[in-house]
Amino acid sequence: MSANNLRNGLLDRRRFLGDAGLGLGAIALTHLLSRQGLLGASVGGMEPIRPSIDPGRPYAPRTPHFAPKAKNVLVIFCSGACSQLDTFDFKPELIRRHGQPMPGAGKLITFQGEQGALTRSPWEFRPRGQSGKMVSDLLPHLGALADDLCFLHGMKGKTNTHGPGENFMSTGSTLDGFPSLGAWLTYALGSEDQSLPSYVAIPDPRGKPQNSVNNWSPGFLPAAYQGTEFNATTPIRNLARPDGITADMDAATRAFLRRQNERHAQAFPGDSQLAARISSYELAARMQLTVPEVADLAGEPEHILRLYGANESGSKIQDLRAAYARNCILARRLVERGVRFVQLFNGAYQTGGEGVSNWDGHKDLLNQYSVHGPVLDKPTAGLLIDLKQRGLLEETLVVWCTEFGRMPTFQKGSQGRDHNPDGFTCWLAGAGVKAGFTYGATDEFGHKAVQEVTTVYDLHATILHLLGLDHERLTFYHNGLERRLTDVHGEVIRPILAR
Amino acid sequence: MSLANPGPIRRIDAVRRIGGGATVLAWILLTAAAPIRTTAAEAPEPSAKHWSFQPVVRPEVPATGKRTSHPVDAFVRDALRRERLDPSPEADRTTRIRRLYDVVLGLPPTPSEIEAFRRDRSPKAWENLVDRVLEDPRYGERWARHWLDVIRFAESNGFETNRERTGAWRFRDWVIQALNRDLPYDEFVRRQVAGDASGDDVATGFLVGGPWDIVKSPDPALTAQQRADELDDMVNTTGTAFLGLTLGCARCHNHKFDPVSQREYFSLTAVFAGVSQGERALPRSAAEEAAWKAAEAEVQSLESRLARYRTRPEADLPAVEARLNEDRFAPVATRRLRFTVLGTTGGEPCLDELEAWSGDRNVALASAGTKASASGTLPGYAIHQLAHINDGRTGNDRSWISNESGKGWVELEFPQEFRVDRVTWGRDREGRLGDRIATAYRIEVQGPDGAWSSVSDSARRRPRPGSGPAIPEYRFDGLAKAEAAEARATLTKLESAAKRRDALSKPPMAHAGTFSQPGKVHRQHRGDPLQPREQVVPATLEIFRPVVLEDSTPEQRRRVALAEWITRPDHPLTARVAVNRIWQQHFGVGLVDTSNDFGHNGSKPSHPELLDWLAAELVHPTVPDGGRTARPWSLKHLHRLILTSATWNQSSKPRPEARRVDAANRLLWRFEPRRLEAEAIRDGILAVAGTLDPTPGGPSFHLHDVDRENVYHYHPKERFGPAESRRMVYAFKVRMEQDGVFGAFDCPDGSLVAPRRSRSTTPLQALNLFNSRFLLDEAAHFADRLGREAGPDPKARIRLGWRLAYGREPDRAEMRDALGFVRDHGLPALCRAVLNSNEFLFIP
Repeated sequence: MSANNLRNGLLDRRRFLGDAGLGLGAIALTHLLSRQGLLGASVGGMEPIRPSIDPGRPYAPRTPHFAPKAKNVLVIFCSGACSQLDTFDFKPELIRRHGQPMPGAGKLITFQGEQGALTRSPWEFRPRGQSGKMVSDLLPHLGALADDLCFLHGMKGKTNTHGPGENFMSTGSTLDGFPSLGAWLTYALGSEDQSLPSYVAIPDPRGKPQNSVNNWSPGFLPAAYQGTEFNATTPIRNLARPDGITADMDAATRAFLRRQNERHAQAFPGDSQLAARISSYELAARMQLTVPEVADLAGEPEHILRLYGANESGSKIQDLRAAYARNCILARRLVERGVRFVQLFNGAYQTGGEGVSNWDGHKDLLNQYSVHGPVLDKPTAGLLIDLKQRGLLEETLVVWCTEFGRMPTFQKGSQGRDHNPDGFTCWLAGAGVKAGFTYGATDEFGHKAVQEVTTVYDLHATILHLLGLDHERLTFYHNGLERRLTDVHGEVIRPILAR
Repeated sequence: MSLANPGPIRRIDAVRRIGGGATVLAWILLTAAAPIRTTAAEAPEPSAKHWSFQPVVRPEVPATGKRTSHPVDAFVRDALRRERLDPSPEADRTTRIRRLYDVVLGLPPTPSEIEAFRRDRSPKAWENLVDRVLEDPRYGERWARHWLDVIRFAESNGFETNRERTGAWRFRDWVIQALNRDLPYDEFVRRQVAGDASGDDVATGFLVGGPWDIVKSPDPALTAQQRADELDDMVNTTGTAFLGLTLGCARCHNHKFDPVSQREYFSLTAVFAGVSQGERALPRSAAEEAAWKAAEAEVQSLESRLARYRTRPEADLPAVEARLNEDRFAPVATRRLRFTVLGTTGGEPCLDELEAWSGDRNVALASAGTKASASGTLPGYAIHQLAHINDGRTGNDRSWISNESGKGWVELEFPQEFRVDRVTWGRDREGRLGDRIATAYRIEVQGPDGAWSSVSDSARRRPRPGSGPAIPEYRFDGLAKAEAAEARATLTKLESAAKRRDALSKPPMAHAGTFSQPGKVHRQHRGDPLQPREQVVPATLEIFRPVVLEDSTPEQRRRVALAEWITRPDHPLTARVAVNRIWQQHFGVGLVDTSNDFGHNGSKPSHPELLDWLAAELVHPTVPDGGRTARPWSLKHLHRLILTSATWNQSSKPRPEARRVDAANRLLWRFEPRRLEAEAIRDGILAVAGTLDPTPGGPSFHLHDVDRENVYHYHPKERFGPAESRRMVYAFKVRMEQDGVFGAFDCPDGSLVAPRRSRSTTPLQALNLFNSRFLLDEAAHFADRLGREAGPDPKARIRLGWRLAYGREPDRAEMRDALGFVRDHGLPALCRAVLNSNEFLFIP
């Protein structure tokens, strides 16, 4: 904004909103601070890249550090710790030694205590697709897509407790209060679509995940970068025009508010905070139109509903599956509209007992997973197929994850598996990663990651890399440190990158 | 301070040389000028020459000619002059009083308060107003919120269980009251670190204000990690809040930027190693004690009148105590005895020793061949083992704790049959700890046929003060009508007296932590609790006159020593950090804009001399406060200095020529306008709408509906009533889950320390403020109020609305616009717009 404009009294509104705070202010600020040496130091010799953000336009698209392979990310998070041994990590030795004690596990104490015998999965594994990847009968629809998936079997976590585990996977720290992956991405890249939130978290139909909103927290980043929470049944809070307010009155009030704010802003030419608040009401008004439209699945044709299993009902599993399937369709619609980061949850906080509402199969794995498997399988597979047939997988990175794995033994005196952060499986699909590829392995029983071991930091570094971001240089100054998503860890998992 | 030193001295050596031997209570204050340094290999590289580690020397106030006599202005103008900038003219009186109320009280002034100030022709009008506002108890409510951010205070545990801390609000009230009575800042610090040493128990809520992962596991690695995280939270919060140092950075390795070694970090964990999360009973006042005794006497007198109708014998044993309890019973021959806990004063029960007597011989001792077994043992603690139950040694460090909350059992198998006639047991015979006491229990023995029979139980015990005992059972059947009626009436009286007694007998509980003597503390390689290395002693940091304590130093003394070290008047960091926080809350940005980091990685001060002058003035005040000498460490003195400066009182209007030089206004050529924080917005809306409930203090109100399952779920309320109309500082502060309307306004959730709020602007904020039920309800109340107070004339209503929300009259254009709008859409719609407007939401 030029000084001339500033002196001209009431400005053309669009220009005022468009360029307030740009240019002059930001440049002068940097200049004075650097001249006086008042800016914080760099990170270990490497210059941090802090995106330059105009407070008036926090969601403006920003350029990545280098050419990206993916534009959007869709994370599918199975809350409760989904067992690798009953899904994707096939271990013949576990079948052979079924019922025997696990060598060296005599004194092993895991989260809930002592170990029983090695226990094979109740579900058979079969070769799938061209690649012949072994996937269990628990997830036949996802198994059928094995040729599109890139498996990480050597994942290793840091904690065996759900809350810290979800934090770790979603924010890179086991503690509460750190920014989530999606917040970092939105902070770094802004949004393609200015009329939708750039970061959407879709909780499971049964409720929020175990560490709740911390999974999509802005942490110490500005609140602008938090995930906006809604799903196919629960809309964004306060999005709708309130009851008792007519559309006319609503528009008139908005207009009056704008006039009042502009009269006030005349005395403060160029104050970007004031301009930002004015424009935030306009963005809110646009969201009021676009979000219900994107969340309205009524226009989805029958064959699409069928693909996801969204039109089934009757049994408990079918009802639940249909509800999750509608969330999957919503996820696709958001990705289609260019939402930068979509976080889709399967599994909710613990309610009704351990492992009932999520993948925490300590005591009754067979019966509980017999619900969770079918609920996850068809809709998630439908989502992948749909993304692919629309060409969206070419620019979208899909990440399937869970907070940690489970033990190859059953717990002593119990019919389920205890927590196991030492080896678990995640998979990726879509933009920038190899398809039909497997990287990393656990030991012969599926207990510990032993080969091509990858950490949550590595996974995060890889996701940032695919979005064109250097995880070592994307920083935000907080409380004495140039903070990174990956702390001081993480390496891009180069062998899984597509050429 | 000098870095040169005569030769490397290891800290342990230093203790030995100077302190010598194993004097149990000895602690050593090293006042030598040269700090003790570690060996060269261990010494951190970063230099102690950094500006903030140097002593505060009061700088000369720059000469600015006749233009100002105010020291704050002299420093600010000196810096402006160097950039050839002028300060802005004084703001008008309406702006100044609104700004004063927003900044100091967090609420708008009433129209009559504004009018009174506008008309006050006294030359001291501003000083008098500032004095009055600083004495307003709403000041503490406003500034406590900032301190609670800085020290990551919240009222739920965080993590997935996120359970409530019902006794945490007392600490919030403590902060409010401490600020209101201007508790000197050094004392404010000391009480929070070690208030239990000076009878101010609530204050240590600071230590345990952080998140607490209560998910317990038999996995020792997890348990050790959880404990290490708790200690890290205490060390880190202490470091950032009081010293502006990010000590957490030294957990895994020597600090990369500041001269803090990993060993120093673990020496600080040794200071806090005896602090545990949890509630502590507060001492009752004499009046409370007397009221309880009177109620107890009444209960006893009523009980004696009813004694003949009792269906079971009276309690024959005294109330259970922490130290030692004895259960006598008729001698019984047995080989097995079981002590089953059915209830505790809280948490998993602890027994330090279980003795079974046959005459004068304790036949329970392991050394006599008795074997102990138990339902389970709390994992991960060497000091709590099953073997300790009958090892003949007492005290917390030789005790057993069950792995289940409120229950558990221990069984003794004697080498042969004994005639047992009494059992003695306790929680801590050394008398240090009074938690985890078994209040409901049963003692059973096994007969020759294998059947168990009870020989004693807690029904024989008189009630513990505060335990809310049941009233004995009475039977009135078979009595004459009149007698039965009278007995029933007496029983009714007894029931209400007992209820009163129970209420009075409960000691107030505060989430202020529990204390116990810690064991040895080791440096952890790479911050991994499973890789302990050399032992460390409790000590302060070495950057400034280090205090090194002995390993045997009692728990409380460790914290007292640290608190005294932090609050030494010559500490280079403490006053600078405190002054900077106050400055930040006045101007939006501190003189050091990284208010939690005064180390090498933080920013340099924009006005270094001013910062030091203010720090010196805080500790050794020279400027009188209205004719009186100010007290040392008085925060209100600091406020008064800032509030009476021309810098604070100047206009907030932007000036293009100044903006070109200093757009961020770090040189303070104007007062920087800024959006109010979430709490001040909510409070302000309620105040303007006339619905604010000003009641101070007490238990928090809830902004969420709470599902109290094993894991707690918080659902933001949609509708609010009078119960939720108090100031937001009194809202129950939940970790993670935010209020449905104001959480989006950059509310920190207490998971991490939050030295400065970000001020982001988002469409969700706009949606919440424009569409929420809360806002619409308050807009309706606001409109009702205007109708009530301004009468039927729409112009009068609009004028009052402007005066309440903006502190001024509408101008002609506004009046015209507003009149037309009200005519078409009604007054509530106008109120909805006004409560959303920038002028209402910004500090002017």
